[in-house]
Amino acid sequence: MGTQLFRYSEDNKEKFLESDNITFNDGSVVTPEEIWHYLTVEGPEKYPGSFEVNLYQGNRASRDETLPTSLKTHYLGLTFSDRMEKAKDRGKSIAFIQGGQAVDPYTAADTIALRPGLVNQWYGGLEHGNDINKANLRRRKSKEKAFHDMSFEACQTGGYEHVQEGDLRIDVIAPYTVLRCSDVSYGVEAHRHGPKKDVKLFNVDYPLRYQADKPWAIEYFAQNLRRLVGTLDEVTGRVTTEEDVTKAIQLHNEGRRLGTELAELWWSADVPPTNSADRASLVALGNLEVHGDVQASLSVLKEAKKFIAERVRNGVKGHAVIDNPKRIFILGSCVGINGSRSEDAGAIVVGRDDQWSHCTSLVEEEGDPYYNLAKTTLEYPYEQSIEKRAHWTIEQIRKSRADGVIFIHNWGCNTQAAVARPIVDIIKRETGIPTYIHELELGGLQHEQEQNRVNAFIEML
Amino acid sequence: MSLSENFFAGVDVGSLAAKAVILKDGEIFATGLLKSGVNSVESGLSALNLALDAAGLKKEDLTYIVGTGYGRVSAPYANKAVTEITCHAKGANYLHPTVRTIIDMGGQDCKAIRIDENGAVVDFAMNDKCAAGTGRFLEVMAEVFKVKLEDLGAIALSATDTVPMSSTCTVFAESETISLIARGEKPENILNGIHHSIANRIAGLFSRVGITSDVFFSGGVAKNSGMKSAIEQALKVTIVRPEIDPQLIGALGAAVLARSFAKKEGLWAA
Repeated sequence: MGTQLFRYSEDNKEKFLESDNITFNDGSVVTPEEIWHYLTVEGPEKYPGSFEVNLYQGNRASRDETLPTSLKTHYLGLTFSDRMEKAKDRGKSIAFIQGGQAVDPYTAADTIALRPGLVNQWYGGLEHGNDINKANLRRRKSKEKAFHDMSFEACQTGGYEHVQEGDLRIDVIAPYTVLRCSDVSYGVEAHRHGPKKDVKLFNVDYPLRYQADKPWAIEYFAQNLRRLVGTLDEVTGRVTTEEDVTKAIQLHNEGRRLGTELAELWWSADVPPTNSADRASLVALGNLEVHGDVQASLSVLKEAKKFIAERVRNGVKGHAVIDNPKRIFILGSCVGINGSRSEDAGAIVVGRDDQWSHCTSLVEEEGDPYYNLAKTTLEYPYEQSIEKRAHWTIEQIRKSRADGVIFIHNWGCNTQAAVARPIVDIIKRETGIPTYIHELELGGLQHEQEQNRVNAFIEML
Repeated sequence: MSLSENFFAGVDVGSLAAKAVILKDGEIFATGLLKSGVNSVESGLSALNLALDAAGLKKEDLTYIVGTGYGRVSAPYANKAVTEITCHAKGANYLHPTVRTIIDMGGQDCKAIRIDENGAVVDFAMNDKCAAGTGRFLEVMAEVFKVKLEDLGAIALSATDTVPMSSTCTVFAESETISLIARGEKPENILNGIHHSIANRIAGLFSRVGITSDVFFSGGVAKNSGMKSAIEQALKVTIVRPEIDPQLIGALGAAVLARSFAKKEGLWAA
């Protein structure tokens, strides 16, 4: 059976070429012409899997081609691996971190911070010419090997494996441990005992949950953040000042504000201005870390907000979104549902709590930057008690006008699996909105069992 | 037969069986049921053809077809695809409008479904990806004991004791069963334990969605009297079993939905 590849239509080229450049951390610029060339010539050759028209990608012959920033996030995703390699060639430092944390201190210390998903993306992109099946097999192979090397099954194990195997030039492992996820902590512990010792390890010890109102906890975490920056400086050989940290906070606050405004703009629309995948990829830019390049994310985010505002003003509906779709809010770490297949079944994803919690958490810009960062981090809504997290989630559900809520936890994600039921029960009790709890296997393609449950939930709505 | 009559079909292609039901003017007119093969399109079509032959109809005589079950994603003969959860709800409501809770145990999954007076799903839960607690699990056990699948329930009901099963993974349970036999446990007592272990899994699903009477049992496993009894004990309820083959409920619900979709789309007027 031949593989059909999606091609961007020349019909939209002119509009795309009128859009903005992307500016990167190192000051380099890529023009729309160069992006167009990559997406239509180089990209499909290097990463045919990303252009494959198949069930997993919704059997759609096109993406939202009239939304230039949709193409730009596609470009940033496809070039991620190459950009990380080039950054390393230039001597840039790269840290392996936890998901769900802001990266302001790493930006201040001139270090690229990659959460587990991005580490996997970097590794995935090193091999070219793979169709979607081959690319997935490659990821699965790493995961299975990591299960055996670590001797337990967790959802995010690729990072451990790639560092231990020396697949990726990661300089330092420095996550906020005990933050929302048990698996990265397990991985860090496995690193401590792993055979490869030349990668620096630093645990930013996040005080056990629910300490946001305790000054000692804020001070303690602030001290940890200082030590983190010191460790990053040991790797880079530079000296990061408090002023650098404050500047990083200001920069990331700009991203967080824009990301929040973009999401609220999207929610304010009578008809969804983008489909689920585009909404997610644009809102995710708010944390400025998703593409391993803060400035690139910021420049696309600024432009995206302009386009979304225009669409909302003109009542433009996102590509392949049906009339009056059922609006679904997704809860849980490192999870999601297949946007296009769920849209085909009559729904649209209007929000997620993961990554959104810290996007909505602005950091105070005056005073001790470490204290301010620590205070905000301890206040992340996602990290609060079940009751508090549920109430914050209810606010987001109401703002997004969701019709239903699906809490997903990955196989092996013990933390989220444990809190799923009580959170969902509170949401159900206080909003009356239908909810569903759903278990996924991270990174698989054969998701018929899961999609069946999602479709049944959509039909129920 | 008058050509002005309206026929609607539901085709349910599951992991173990393909089923079809044809409705004529709202009444069950014909059914078809066979073991499903690897090719879900062919399995669905074969079940549909069985029902068509029994009805003396051709496919062109059908006003609307709804496909359901795992084969619904590749059912070119169907006008629409709907999940089996929705279809079981509609099928149970069609047969017993007072039903509010459904236990559906099929080949590879089991479902706890709560419905309203119109047969709309209010809440549901399903087993995880593991096939433990499903028809396939019982098939494996029937093979271990070298007995017919349909006799398993009666054998379990003849037990004098219940042997606890510490594992509910299909593959591991098989090896555990073999070691229990080697230990000298009576087959009927082991089978009773297996039925109770599955029933407890089902009860766990209902802790999520709740139970409201009447409770209805559908799917191939509903033919098993031992399982019905074990679930009744676990849930402390009396179960209503359908008058027709319980494997057909999904296809029946799909046919009911076909009638309703055809009406909505102006293809038929009541």
